[in-house]
Amino acid sequence: MSEIIGVARPRVDAPDKVTGATQFAADGYVHGLLHARPVLATEAHARIRGVEKQEALAVPGVVAVLVASDLPVATAGTDRTSEPLAREEVVFAGQPVALVVAETEAAAEDGAELVVVDYESLAAVVDVEAAMEVGAPLARSVEEADDEAGDLESIHAGVDHGQEDDPGEELSGNVLDRITRERGDLAAAFASSDAVVEGTFRTPWVYQAYLEPQVCTAWLEPSGTLVVSTSTQGAFVTRREIARAFDLPLERVRVIAEPLGGAFGGKFALIEPLAVGPALALKRPVRLVLTRGEDFQSTNPASAQVTHMKVGARKDGTFTAIEARMIVDRGSNAGWGVEGTTSALAPGPYRWEAHDIRGYGVQTNRFTFGAYRAPGAPTAAYALESLLDELAEQLDLDPIEMRLRNAFVEGDIGMGGNPFPPFGAVDVLERLRDHPLWSKRDSLPSDEGVGMAAGFWPGGLEPAAAVCRVDSDGTMTVVTTAADMSGVNTGFAAIAAAAFGLAPDDVRVVTADTSFGPYSGGSGGSKVTYTVGAAVLRAAEAAREKVLAAAAQELEIAPDDLEVVDGVVRAKGAPDRSVTVKEIAQKALRFGGRYEPVEGHGGSAQTSSAPSIAAHLSHVRVDRETGEVELLHHVIAQDVGRALNPALVEGQMRGGAAQGMGWALYEELAHDEDGRLLTGSFLDYAIPTAERVPEIETLIVEVPAPDGPFGAKGIGEAPVVGAPAAVANAVAAAIGKRLYELPMTPPRVWKALRS
Amino acid sequence: MIAAATRYQRASDVDHALELLGEPDAKAIAGGQSLIPVMKLRIARPSVVVDISRLELCGVEEREGALHIGPLTTWAELAATDPPAGLDAIPECAREIGDVQVRNLGTIGGSIVHADPASDMPAVLLALGASLEIRSTDGSRDVALADVFLGPFTTALGGQELVTDVVVPLPAPGSGSAYASVEHPASGFALVGAAALVGPAGETVALTGVAATPFVLDGDPQNAIAAAEIFGDRFASEEYRRDLASVVAERALASARERSDA
Amino acid sequence: MSDTVSVVVNGEPRSLEVEGRTLLVHALRDGLGLTGTHIGCDTSQCGACTVLLDGRAVKSCTVLAHQAEDREITTIEGLAANGELHPLQRAFVEHHGLQCGFCTPGVILTAADLLSRDASPSDETIRHALRGNLCRCTGYQGIVESIRAAGGTS
Repeated sequence: MSEIIGVARPRVDAPDKVTGATQFAADGYVHGLLHARPVLATEAHARIRGVEKQEALAVPGVVAVLVASDLPVATAGTDRTSEPLAREEVVFAGQPVALVVAETEAAAEDGAELVVVDYESLAAVVDVEAAMEVGAPLARSVEEADDEAGDLESIHAGVDHGQEDDPGEELSGNVLDRITRERGDLAAAFASSDAVVEGTFRTPWVYQAYLEPQVCTAWLEPSGTLVVSTSTQGAFVTRREIARAFDLPLERVRVIAEPLGGAFGGKFALIEPLAVGPALALKRPVRLVLTRGEDFQSTNPASAQVTHMKVGARKDGTFTAIEARMIVDRGSNAGWGVEGTTSALAPGPYRWEAHDIRGYGVQTNRFTFGAYRAPGAPTAAYALESLLDELAEQLDLDPIEMRLRNAFVEGDIGMGGNPFPPFGAVDVLERLRDHPLWSKRDSLPSDEGVGMAAGFWPGGLEPAAAVCRVDSDGTMTVVTTAADMSGVNTGFAAIAAAAFGLAPDDVRVVTADTSFGPYSGGSGGSKVTYTVGAAVLRAAEAAREKVLAAAAQELEIAPDDLEVVDGVVRAKGAPDRSVTVKEIAQKALRFGGRYEPVEGHGGSAQTSSAPSIAAHLSHVRVDRETGEVELLHHVIAQDVGRALNPALVEGQMRGGAAQGMGWALYEELAHDEDGRLLTGSFLDYAIPTAERVPEIETLIVEVPAPDGPFGAKGIGEAPVVGAPAAVANAVAAAIGKRLYELPMTPPRVWKALRS
Repeated sequence: MIAAATRYQRASDVDHALELLGEPDAKAIAGGQSLIPVMKLRIARPSVVVDISRLELCGVEEREGALHIGPLTTWAELAATDPPAGLDAIPECAREIGDVQVRNLGTIGGSIVHADPASDMPAVLLALGASLEIRSTDGSRDVALADVFLGPFTTALGGQELVTDVVVPLPAPGSGSAYASVEHPASGFALVGAAALVGPAGETVALTGVAATPFVLDGDPQNAIAAAEIFGDRFASEEYRRDLASVVAERALASARERSDA
Repeated sequence: MSDTVSVVVNGEPRSLEVEGRTLLVHALRDGLGLTGTHIGCDTSQCGACTVLLDGRAVKSCTVLAHQAEDREITTIEGLAANGELHPLQRAFVEHHGLQCGFCTPGVILTAADLLSRDASPSDETIRHALRGNLCRCTGYQGIVESIRAAGGTS
């Protein structure tokens, strides 16, 4: 077992991916396929007076021009599933208003150009703080009609919403949600502090920028089953949403989760209705592949946020009080926002004597907000970790030592009121403290700086099931329905191989669709390896019991005296008395066979989550004349529980850190004052390139999760959380000035240097 | 993403190309790295695309006191060129344009006639005093590059004209040239780019990325920058760009001086 | 409205049925079913559509199919020979150069162009050569290590 778990094996899907054999969702051939092209709203807030279809319909090859009333949607809500095309009111520029469906993509695009929408402009709400004031125009005139907006929040992180409304604060109808989290005596705690610092931190809307634009194909089978082939993180979530919106029984909707070309939270039941609706209306297969420009405008990026935060500490470095007011720009998402998670994570992985954190989810006439890798966490960490550095400076304490003093350890009570499970905060901070880059931070050239920050993610929970089936050639097929976003299939293969007793090359993993696959929740929330992996482990163990029972009969040895190693069932201590797994399988899988098929089903329903923490060191050089920040080196230390496959774990750590660098320096979805997107392509929206991302050193820390398979945790989100803050702290160290707004573009750094 | 409908014709020689370009809304295509992106956005909607990429208008040759660069010379070819003395700015600039894929197809001629106010090579060519040989059905004419750029994406070329040569006078012995720029992190285009030529006759600086067209600075660069009309946008304000122009011009000059005998 | 363009794709003569405006990437994907070449953007930046045209890396979304007439195109499907992975493909598998795999074909073909001109590039050269290939998953380090390994200087 030790040669399987912890080995950096290549990904199981790598050979297909490097040869171009992998069929992504836009790649499959479908007979009779029609192509859809959306017409997107050009106004941020408007009433639709009419849609002119005639010219578009006259284009050869155009089959239909559909508006909201043409789609057989049964629910009345304003979520993107119930209202895939705007009915009467447009609430963000980029919102789909019509669909042109044609025999070819070119004809669909020719047609879409000719659709004319008549808008009556309404006041566009684009300033999130102004939107909160009583008397502000409302971003949405129509009342939210449907409470059944689907439970999309909990697939990312089940966090409670703290206490109810604080009636003391009068706010406009744009404030859809208020969260209050209070504990302890805030005033007393601040009063007892030797240093108190505060600041207002702004982060913009940020785009997940998965390389594969969103895509979905839908068609009706002759039996009446609706098949939805989609690039999605959550097959069952998608099935539920489609069934709900189009009033279909669950068993009539079959969702196939195709290989994901990146998602990072943005592909959860969003665009499927735009393919399903036309497919049902026209009774023909329809594919919608968003262009990158459409994906920029009309999908679901991460919310902009304004965080006012104040923190205190005593001179020995003990954290005393934290107060925060976090305003989340939900855009046009009435269903949920990150005010819950960002307020829960504001205090970070630290103990405080008192806290008073308020979160506000505010609607504006901007995108439907969506989840992006640790939603709400990087923005909270940017504020907190920046202020912690200021505290350390005022108190003349080492920033890492100060954090070590307060870092959560196992047993500490977290925000949810539950004791923390084993947690590697101290471990990762110590690894950074002992890193040579940290020790030389004060002796660098004057334009360079090193900063650090930590960030954690609580880890999600969701019951899951899996099947492990041994085939007649003695190899194993693992079946789950978990979309492989982060390489989890490779982890499942290792888990199953180790738990059963096969060589990993003899285990393949298949992702089944919703019609017959064992349940799993969406791939997100840093829980797939933890929960589905645990189900795979149990399934493999269940299959192992079957093969042992059969081998016991063959060899006439009690099952307890047998072991399975590399596909051979043998007597412990007497390995020559053996039978291969293949032989057992062949005796089972045939007419008149004498043993049950060697298959196992496993389930999991952990109740304790497995939080993962990552701490970063960022080394930067600032060009004071131009304001450009060059990333010289990055170190990330993360507690992963158990690295089932160190190469895959490092890949997640580096990928998350790199995305954090993008948050810190380059990425911003900007609107003009009328709410139209200004940065709607990669010409304006900069994701980090190979030249701009430095070498990223990875330090893997293992603090086993008690309920994780072989101690592994879900680790996909923690690596991004503290990265922007680490870069911000590095820039502050380099130039002696702090920036309170991300991204720290050259003009902004230049301006800070001259203010 | 998909261009508006258009026809495709391939020119067999320059005369044929000029004939094909006589059709209203015809557009010549060389490497396509400037034209195809704007066709895909449906900003450019040519009636016919005239492919001139296989004409014999490439190659870099030193003759008659000038470097003659065929307009179909790709950036990759220019980047790999060993330049005559004093013309280091040309491969230096070419190496940084776009990316590997763009450089394999994009041509110097195509870029010039596209006239993006933030493209890099025009600044270099302006600083070096380049001129173009332009062919039409009436014959050939030579135009100083400074007279070619009229505005953003607008040149003095007529619809039925083709650039047939880019002519860069060889600088005086002991000269040095350089190109420096600060890029927009997304597009890679110059927020400010500066090309400098330093020689016994003096110093010339040309800027790109800050105005309606690239232009040569008149007189002392710092004074000229302070007085120039410079635009700003949401990402980079006028104040920032002006200061950046100053910095980048200084860097190009410093590098050019180092390469010269000054 | 349709023209026939003869090209050589992965060593074999093929015919493309295209319009004047048809991009090479669409001709390859939809016309020939070679879906290993991917479309990731619409402003010619991401490089997911990179193929080799006469041995040189180009973005097939920024080439008209017509322009490729009589030229040799290599797509990702054409790199492996006789059932053997190309050294770059093998390196990406063994050195963990990919995660979701969407950018991977384009990255590998750009790397093939680079290595054909510079057999042992430095990391800096590799990163500069990858400017036209965006990756969102890996942070690029696995990619650089894979290319370095394929170049034989690991």
